Amino acid sequence: MESGESKGSTGAVDYPAVMECDKCPSEAVMHAAYSGLHMCEEHFCASVEKRVRSRVREDNLLPDDATVEDPETWVIGLSGGKDSVVLTQILHDTFAKDPRVELIALSIHEGIDEYRDKSLEACEELTDDLDVRHETVSYAEEFGVEMDDVVEEDPNNMAACAYCGVFRRDILSTYAEEFGADKLLTGHNLDDEAETALMNFFEGDIRKMSQQFDSSIGPFEGADASRTRGESDDFIPRAKPLRDIPEKEVALYAHLQDLPAHMTECPHADEAFRGEVQELLYELEERHPGTRHSIMSGYEELAGLASAEYRDGTPDLDECDNCGSPTTGEFCRKCDLLETLEAV
Amino acid sequence: MTVTVELAGEGSHEVDAAGKTYADLLAPFDVSKHEVSVLVDGRPVPEDQAVDSDVERVEVVRLIQGG
Repeated sequence: MESGESKGSTGAVDYPAVMECDKCPSEAVMHAAYSGLHMCEEHFCASVEKRVRSRVREDNLLPDDATVEDPETWVIGLSGGKDSVVLTQILHDTFAKDPRVELIALSIHEGIDEYRDKSLEACEELTDDLDVRHETVSYAEEFGVEMDDVVEEDPNNMAACAYCGVFRRDILSTYAEEFGADKLLTGHNLDDEAETALMNFFEGDIRKMSQQFDSSIGPFEGADASRTRGESDDFIPRAKPLRDIPEKEVALYAHLQDLPAHMTECPHADEAFRGEVQELLYELEERHPGTRHSIMSGYEELAGLASAEYRDGTPDLDECDNCGSPTTGEFCRKCDLLETLEAV
Repeated sequence: MTVTVELAGEGSHEVDAAGKTYADLLAPFDVSKHEVSVLVDGRPVPEDQAVDSDVERVEVVRLIQGG
């Protein structure tokens, strides 16, 4: 059957047999219902790269005062999964020849037998290919715990991700600072961010939206935006350059570019509420294409407004009595969790 | 026109693909098209494309969350 020929002989719905790219005569490999576009491999990959670069530019990740003599250092959280691998690849392709940006990939071994060993192999392969500096830190070395044991003991009756997220954020912040990072970049995609936005709505947590704007999604000072994020000396600012790309498109990009992404789910992954929100978003996106983009567009504006309202009332952070990390209490959350684990 | 549709690692179904799109082939599985890729001979295909009459086997790959 030739391209464009209909399947009228079936007597059923009259779909084209082969979809062409909307930008060239090549065969399409994907359909983005939210934009209506069909794209071939070449135009799809170019589109992903263009959207990431647009986000970097619109959020002003690379300020005008970055120079060859005083470059920006960006630490990328590299797990070896599709998102962080795609982020590292595109940032490398964009900035490898720009002396104003230095990239450092930071991987974390949580102590998850086999799973993390294999994903770290993917990290090594990618950073060797790209000649990007790569550092690996483990929970065992830093905290004296491994996630396989934490899941077994579970003294706080929490999901594995609740422990792991606290430990991971601590290591990313600590080592980003140690490496002299100006920014900490993570591979959160559009689905991740829309889910987080809805979870904050459902929890009624406007203050958390405000904090998220200032810590990771607000444009940096100097951006051509109505609101920019507040400055903080307590944390290395974060950014999420993949947050306009649907998860499925990140995976497709990794597949088409044959990137060494580790394609196995964490054996301890269990975020029940996020899973419910994810199902809801799939259904909404199916019936109303573009829902995820709309959620994020509105969320970013609302978070910016909330930030303006709450920023001055944000309590000053003290240092954790145990490790010195910023905290509003006597001890930081990581040290609280480690203490409960030691008590088991 | 019967096509074997395999969801990697989770089983397969024989589906009558006449007049159907690749998205329609997902019906026997409890998945959204937003959480899978549909591959024919290892190549991704748009889910709104009609199933070609030459196709005998379709692979569906679930996205891995996280990373």
